[in-house]
Amino acid sequence: MKHALYYKSQKIATNTLVHILLITVSITCLYPLLWMIVSSLKTQDMIFKDISLIPHQFHFENYILAWKEGGFGRNFFNSIVYTLSVVCGIVIISSMAAYAFSRLKFAGSKFLFIMFMAAMMIPIPGSFVALYVLLNKLHLRNTPIGYILCMINVGLSTSIFLLKTFFDKMPKELEDAARIDGCSKIGIWRHVALPLAKPVLAVVVVFNALSVWNEYILALIIFDSRQFMPLQVALQTFQGEFVTNYPLLMAGLTITALPIIIVYLLMQKYIVKGVTQGAVVG
Amino acid sequence: MRFKSLFLGVFVLFSILGCSENKIDSKPTVNIWHWMTDRDPAFQELAKKYESLYGVKINFELYAPSDAYSQKIRAAAQGTNLPDIFGILGEKRDFASFIKAGHILDITSYMEANNNKWKNSFFPKALAVNEFSKGNSYGIEPGIFGVPIDIMTIQMVYNKKLLGQLGLNPNRPPKTLQDFLDIGGKIRDAGMQGLVSGWGEVWMVDCLANDYAFNIMGKDKVLATIRGEVPYTDEDWIKVLSVFKQMQESGVLAQGLVTMINKSAEQIFANEKAVFAFNGSWCVNVYKGMNPDLEYGAMLPPEASGRYPMSIWGGAGSSFMVNARSKNKEEAVKFLVWLTDQDQQAYLAQTTNNLPANKNSLSKIPEVLAQFARGMDYATHPNVWGVSEFSLVIEALDRGIQSIIIGEKTPEQVAGEVQKVKEREMAKRRAK
Repeated sequence: MKHALYYKSQKIATNTLVHILLITVSITCLYPLLWMIVSSLKTQDMIFKDISLIPHQFHFENYILAWKEGGFGRNFFNSIVYTLSVVCGIVIISSMAAYAFSRLKFAGSKFLFIMFMAAMMIPIPGSFVALYVLLNKLHLRNTPIGYILCMINVGLSTSIFLLKTFFDKMPKELEDAARIDGCSKIGIWRHVALPLAKPVLAVVVVFNALSVWNEYILALIIFDSRQFMPLQVALQTFQGEFVTNYPLLMAGLTITALPIIIVYLLMQKYIVKGVTQGAVVG
Repeated sequence: MRFKSLFLGVFVLFSILGCSENKIDSKPTVNIWHWMTDRDPAFQELAKKYESLYGVKINFELYAPSDAYSQKIRAAAQGTNLPDIFGILGEKRDFASFIKAGHILDITSYMEANNNKWKNSFFPKALAVNEFSKGNSYGIEPGIFGVPIDIMTIQMVYNKKLLGQLGLNPNRPPKTLQDFLDIGGKIRDAGMQGLVSGWGEVWMVDCLANDYAFNIMGKDKVLATIRGEVPYTDEDWIKVLSVFKQMQESGVLAQGLVTMINKSAEQIFANEKAVFAFNGSWCVNVYKGMNPDLEYGAMLPPEASGRYPMSIWGGAGSSFMVNARSKNKEEAVKFLVWLTDQDQQAYLAQTTNNLPANKNSLSKIPEVLAQFARGMDYATHPNVWGVSEFSLVIEALDRGIQSIIIGEKTPEQVAGEVQKVKEREMAKRRAK
């Protein structure tokens, strides 16, 4: 009887501690989001005077103002095009490359793979000027294709690493069976490897979508014209050197965060699967 | 089938995006790159006005934040893609490197045309930041290479209401250091906060220390110290460092000042929780956004000595340069002449709350801005001294002042430490 009580109380204590920890982590994650939404409904001076989480007056017009003043329409479209193009490009190229690194034996494959991994170590801002000069010489500066190619390049290393780790663990018997059925190498990649890699691909999609959606510095450097700028650059218009228009910035951030939250929610099932299957290694 | 469509879709999308090109406009267009988010709507408005008056299209492109803008300018310089007009952020040596690389047009002849008409319209100190004098240490041919758009000064501001609550005349802020220190006790008794500032961002400590150095020992001795001819252990430098100790002991400094960032300091002052603040003229715009009803005035830091005049940091806030390789050089200069004319400058000051660079525009601006602008008579800036201190020495001095404020070190200890760093850096320079 004593034992049962002891184990029960130990279980309750552990659960309580775990829950307190999880609730604390949740609050620290959710509070900034909540503050962002609340601030987006206040006026500039109320943000500094009234720290309550429920505004006395809701200023929904901040969203309309942010959309209009930030010129979000065009930038929103640009961001969607860039994110879709880059993610598609990364998924196709990295899955092919990762499959080749994992299954094809060719001279210098290990060296090439190490080179790709080494690229992960180079901080992107360090290569800005070099990228700018290269794009300039290729006449791709101030063109969306130049930006998309750069962003694909940025996301390739990590994606190849994730996918290769997965393909290395994939049973070879499945490929043998496909080969007996007459599948070519590209057919095996398309009909066997890719469908099995869905959870890892989901991780690749979400990580890269997030990275492209939030990128603005490279865009600012490559593009001269505002018509090509992504959404994040539009957000900077609310943030001055000394003065920040917080209500519009927060409204803009809320608008900006929505699509990426939707992408995450849609792919949540696969991401959890991908992570638990060891997609994210190292 | 779906997979093939995806491939095809990506190919078509890439092809379309790759073919995107800028439209060619038949009108002459002057392209301007800048980072000033708060001034962009006013610039756009002025661009429209200029086009309607002269038929020249002015295309202002905003690239914010300023860090990213700086990177863009450097990258564009490497690729010789700089626009007709642009601004440079950073120190004077960055400015000089752009001139040496042939990116910036010498506009002295335009400034001096018609009996210096354009040149004389500016505050001389605003122009000094854009000027290279004879024998400058950067090896640049003497001349004017930039056009100031606005100016800034860094001074003290005081809350009129709180000063009144302390039993003081809200329109007579303290003029001497002793008056200022005497208010410390009253602030402490009333449970208020004294002086707030972004002293966590050490450059602001450096700024006030320089102000007092100029006031206590004069410009010549400060510059002699930078040249290594006077040690930081000199009696006058100990006096400068002691000012901070006196302020701390009197209770005139707000709690947590040494780790305070300027944004927090601005918020505290705007919410009427602090009596004084040490801030730049940009604060007018900031306080207006945070608390439009705030009643405050600008003042020079209280004098610690009557030997030399009080000095404050000030000069050109933002400047524009003309691309020396631009095909539209003449149009670009004409536009800058128009932009810095009295009316356009007054419009910019009224709409953006920045101080105008044109000294003839002062009559049309709000009183608090005019108070800041009047400080230009006392303005100086490290960029116009012709010599610059080692960054490690500046850091040692600023960190030392922070240590004095928290009671960790004495002024004498800090002076000794700064001098050691100075000697080490000078030895390194001699060895090169």
